[in-house]
Amino acid sequence: MAIASPTRNRGHARWATWRRRAYVPVMLAPVVLTLGVLFFGSLLVALLQSFGHAPIYGITEFPTLKHYRSLFALPGFWASVGLTFYYAIVPTIVGTIASLYLALTLRRRFRGRRFVQFVYKLPLMIPYLVGVALTIVLFGNGGIAARTLFALGVIDSTGDFPRLIYSHAGWGVMFVYLWKQIPFTTLILYSVLMGLGKESEEAAVTLGAGRWQTFWHVTLPQIMPGVVSATIIVFAFNFGSFEVPFILGGGFPNTLPVEAWRAFDDADYSKRLRAMAIVMFIGVLSSAVLITYLAAYRRFERLRGRQ
Amino acid sequence: MIRQRRRGLGDRDRLGPFGRFYLTVVVGMVLGPFVPLVIGSFAFRWTWPDLLPSRWWWEARATARLPQGWDYVFSPISRVVESTGNTILIAILVTLLCAAISLPAARVLAKERFRGKSFVEFFLLTPLIVPEIAVGLGILVTFIQLGLAGTYWGIILVHLIPTIPYMVRVLTSVFQGLSDDYEEQARVLGASPLRTLWHVTLPMILPGLVAGGLFTFLISSNIFLLTFFIGGGRIETLPTLLFSRVSGGGALDAVAAGVALIVCIPGIVLLVITERFIKEEVFAKGFGG
Repeated sequence: MAIASPTRNRGHARWATWRRRAYVPVMLAPVVLTLGVLFFGSLLVALLQSFGHAPIYGITEFPTLKHYRSLFALPGFWASVGLTFYYAIVPTIVGTIASLYLALTLRRRFRGRRFVQFVYKLPLMIPYLVGVALTIVLFGNGGIAARTLFALGVIDSTGDFPRLIYSHAGWGVMFVYLWKQIPFTTLILYSVLMGLGKESEEAAVTLGAGRWQTFWHVTLPQIMPGVVSATIIVFAFNFGSFEVPFILGGGFPNTLPVEAWRAFDDADYSKRLRAMAIVMFIGVLSSAVLITYLAAYRRFERLRGRQ
Repeated sequence: MIRQRRRGLGDRDRLGPFGRFYLTVVVGMVLGPFVPLVIGSFAFRWTWPDLLPSRWWWEARATARLPQGWDYVFSPISRVVESTGNTILIAILVTLLCAAISLPAARVLAKERFRGKSFVEFFLLTPLIVPEIAVGLGILVTFIQLGLAGTYWGIILVHLIPTIPYMVRVLTSVFQGLSDDYEEQARVLGASPLRTLWHVTLPMILPGLVAGGLFTFLISSNIFLLTFFIGGGRIETLPTLLFSRVSGGGALDAVAAGVALIVCIPGIVLLVITERFIKEEVFAKGFGG
């Protein structure tokens, strides 16, 4: 950049250095401030309230742990934690495996490739609630699946059809997650695969590696970073998802986000602090899982000698 | 030996019967559920155990006391038209605002090296990995105090949280692919920074900006939880309207099916546009590629 001569214009030079120094902070300021205030500000509000600082409800007992203590003692709370993990982890694992295979398949040559490439992305584009509606139509007690089984003579009444939705087993919840998330994970993995190209795999095959050997030792290690990012996003989403378990899950206990909303929505305002405690607990649990997962992945990469 | 190797490579590229079966299942799982949904939206009476409705909406049109099926969807009482308007208005404003505040940050992240850069990058990723509900309740409490709850600006502001990370990522990769030469030439030739931005930089990043904008629009129009919290029933968008239609438990009525189909429209339109004009990689920019 232009360097001003010090004898001619010292003020101008100082202005130029100031501008150079301020450039990065000023450019970053809009995004950092917006997210900082909205995102971290609200987390801070929730944190303070969960420890008993809520002047709007006339509660100023900060700092107290009683909202957490009452939460942990609540009947059904730990069952709720279990359900949250269950609904989050199972679809993440099943979905990742299904997506890996789908991404690898999409790379091959076959007829109708353009059509499949188009169709599989559809769930990615529409809200989870549409998936919920589809699940009710398909797997509800009087849904299409039950009607088809009736027509085939497998069941005699709606009562014979297994409860797939509105139950704690959560088949419906997990179906919606998979329906929405397999396309998401596949898209990430597919574009990572496209970025890599096929050279190293072809080299492995030329050197005599079998299908599985190539997959385990060449393809998978290369796309591992993509797998890790996708699973992190998917897990974090499922862990905090509200509307799907709220509608398709069983009654009480439900997942932590649903219980948080119920506590917040209660006519008794003091329960709102418990809602904040639940929400903080969700954040801490989810971060702990993700940090452990990332650390394990880093360790694995180091052990393998890749940095 | 050589022949065998060649065949090996060829075989790997062509899809086997199991792979074809898998793709059929995937396509079936994606499209299949829509068939009963579409049929359901036209049904008037569809009782157990009929596989097709026994009476259709247009047959019952004359006799039914209240508007049925799609008549109801498009009548003002269903609030579908109003919600669609809200969804589009909010999404457009979110997209414009999000682009305006993300552009400078993306440029700096793509072109400059500075201390704390990886921290800023991590900071911008956190909304993707911290559950939305953790943020939602804190914001709701704050917005109630500030009088922003139940207002358009309140909803627009919260929509920035999940959209900024995506927009910054897309725009950063756009700026990374941009050479400095043209801007420098414009400056050397005497163009002011503003003129350079308007006549040189913006036209060059326009395709990426459009791609990022389309995704922001889509994300915003699909957000449920934050709109539900901040809108508080006063401002309905398509996802919150659908929520109130499907959260009652039990089976799905024709109106709910109709609303669910309407909610899909922005996504389908966008899918068609992106398939035609935008390269796949934009979707997954920076996810470990």
